Amino acid sequence: MNIKEYIELLFTDYTLRTITLGTAILGAVTGMLGSFAVLRKQSLLGDAISHAALPGIAIAFLLTGTKDSNILLIGALVSGLIGTFWIRGIVKKTHLKSDTALGLILSLFFGFGMLLLTFIQKQPNANQAGLDKYLFGQAATLVESDVWLMALVSGICLLVLLFFWKEFKILLFDADYTKTLGFNTKFIDVLITSFIVLAIVLGLQTVGVVLMSAMLLAPAAAARQWTNKLSTMVFLAALFGAFSGVFGTAISATQNNLSTGPVIVIIAGVFVLFSFVFSPSRGLLFKQIRFIKNRRDLQLHKTLTFMFHIAEDHDNISHPHAIKILNNFHGYTRGTLQKLEKKNFVKLDGNMWSLTEEGYKTASNLYNQQNKTNE
Amino acid sequence: MSNAQLEIQLIASIVAIACAIPGTFLVLRKMAMISDAISHSILPGIVIGFFITQDLNSPLLILLAALTGIITVVLVEYIQKTGLVKEDTAIGLVFPTLFSAGVILIAKNANDVHLDVDAVLLGELAFAPFDRMVISGADVGPKSLWIIGSILIITIALLFTFFKELKVSTFDVGLAASLGFSPAVIHYGLMTVSSITTVGAFDAVGAILVVALMIAPPATAYLLTTNLKKMLLYSVGFGVFSAISGYWLAHGLDASISGSITTMLGIIFLLVYLFAPNKGVIAVLYREKQQRTEVLLLTFLLHLKNHTDERERHVNHLNEHINWQKVRSKTVLDLALKNNMIKFNKNIVSLTEKGDAFTSQAIDYIITNEDAQIEDMKDDFFLFRG
Repeated sequence: MNIKEYIELLFTDYTLRTITLGTAILGAVTGMLGSFAVLRKQSLLGDAISHAALPGIAIAFLLTGTKDSNILLIGALVSGLIGTFWIRGIVKKTHLKSDTALGLILSLFFGFGMLLLTFIQKQPNANQAGLDKYLFGQAATLVESDVWLMALVSGICLLVLLFFWKEFKILLFDADYTKTLGFNTKFIDVLITSFIVLAIVLGLQTVGVVLMSAMLLAPAAAARQWTNKLSTMVFLAALFGAFSGVFGTAISATQNNLSTGPVIVIIAGVFVLFSFVFSPSRGLLFKQIRFIKNRRDLQLHKTLTFMFHIAEDHDNISHPHAIKILNNFHGYTRGTLQKLEKKNFVKLDGNMWSLTEEGYKTASNLYNQQNKTNE
Repeated sequence: MSNAQLEIQLIASIVAIACAIPGTFLVLRKMAMISDAISHSILPGIVIGFFITQDLNSPLLILLAALTGIITVVLVEYIQKTGLVKEDTAIGLVFPTLFSAGVILIAKNANDVHLDVDAVLLGELAFAPFDRMVISGADVGPKSLWIIGSILIITIALLFTFFKELKVSTFDVGLAASLGFSPAVIHYGLMTVSSITTVGAFDAVGAILVVALMIAPPATAYLLTTNLKKMLLYSVGFGVFSAISGYWLAHGLDASISGSITTMLGIIFLLVYLFAPNKGVIAVLYREKQQRTEVLLLTFLLHLKNHTDERERHVNHLNEHINWQKVRSKTVLDLALKNNMIKFNKNIVSLTEKGDAFTSQAIDYIITNEDAQIEDMKDDFFLFRG
């Protein structure tokens, strides 16, 4: 199947369209809210909450006996919120650190959820099959009403985000200042955390408990590399998330035996890897290039300074000297000499070099500047 | 109790002990989430190992999977070192990606692999006794018992050999380095032991229970003691107790054993979290309330000392002046009376000699900026606490 056929299929095939739309919206909303999670250093909260949602799903099923995904999601939301606030309680009231609290809530809630799920499976009720899709997620089970729900929740998230943008931003970067300005920091904090929980719960059906944390983090971590501005980062993260959703669905739809969740996560991982390496300002590649360039510049400057000191001893600064005397100097290469000539700092004449007026001036200034920065 | 039941409980208890020992150090080193990351990211290692060996219990597979665990740690540390993202983000990025790779590997080869993700993540302890170890025709017990038993013995041997080194490097990395123990060697040693324990235990109890057994017992123990040896002992105790009680819970409910063990761990943690002396939530809340009342009492006594004028010391005036609610004023006045700090004379409050001495000393400490001393002073003066 080539790309054109796939795009045609995308518009005609109900299932494919629903899943693509669903994963795209999910990626966008998790990317958007994930930016806040990453910047608030709550990256692993996503992992803990998605696991903590499991008992909620099981209890919602036990209480109502229906498999209506909306009711199950409300159960997941409640239990996710309980988990989140318990984590806060542990960190605040005891001397256990946040990593221990996260790991505790994650594993204990998940284990309890498993107990309930296996308990449900043994019940004489034929309706219980399919609850374990929340473990690993099955994008294929998405129907149009699920996508509508996702779109609705995303819309609300976006509205709240725009409405409280200033508050979220200021709380993110300077919590103490926010408090002195008279904002209710507790309320803003609870609000943003609740929306993060909501986004996670929304994705459980699609990518499942285990992989949800990557959906939250990866687009945001990738977006962080391209910008230092919050609004751009949130926008980019939403974009990366949506693209991971679309591409992931496309790849898993065209291959046999590939579940959508893991493929989406891998695609998001590729985005992260690409951003880590190729981002212009923070990326590893350009950092390395800058590092090498800086080292070269430094060597160039060293050579120039050395020449300057030789030339200083002569009345005529353009007095020619033999290239040989530079030979043992650290940082001297034929290349640096040619570069210096290109910049019109030195003149080369056979085996001899001489400093130009401009080179002399630059070299003496270089010296001053170095002195200035040293002081 | 049948033989199989006994074996299941034995395996669960041994897993609990084997997990509690490295878990204690992970919790103390603030690396608890690393165990979660390892437990997920060993999946591709297990899958690849399974392709090679075709046997879930082969030592080669355990080594390969443990290697993946160590690779995870190295990757997390590398990403963190680049400074592009924080440590927790690095953990959150690495393990789901590796886990996804594992899931895709399984899915792509679903036809010829007898391995599914549920089994790796959740495990099934109930089946553990059926996989027997047979040496030259003689049945010597369940395979997983042997695997996890040997891991436990190695762990205990390492713990006793390197206890001092582990202790120093956990609490003071700088001191450990200056004494000549390489913190890096101990760090990676601990990571290796954690990885191997996770892999050895996963097929009996599942990855999530491994995480629960590694974090929950030490965290619970940490709320009860600050002594490393006691913490290790308590962790082992909590682990074994929940393993056995969890088994009987599962037996009663006819549900997953690993789920029940985790639930027991959760119940124990909840109880200790609420009721632990000194560090439990109720104790903390009570102490906070006590301190609040005592600070109020101090404020009140200082006020009395500052004002000799009778009008300022009238009960009604105090109510208006310090602006306390009725109940609060009553609590503070009662406490002051009980401790013989004040006396009443026709609704005029005045300090007793003891109250006066207490207040003067408190002022001294406040002026010299030694507020912390006030806590000790309270022990000398107070018959009743707030």
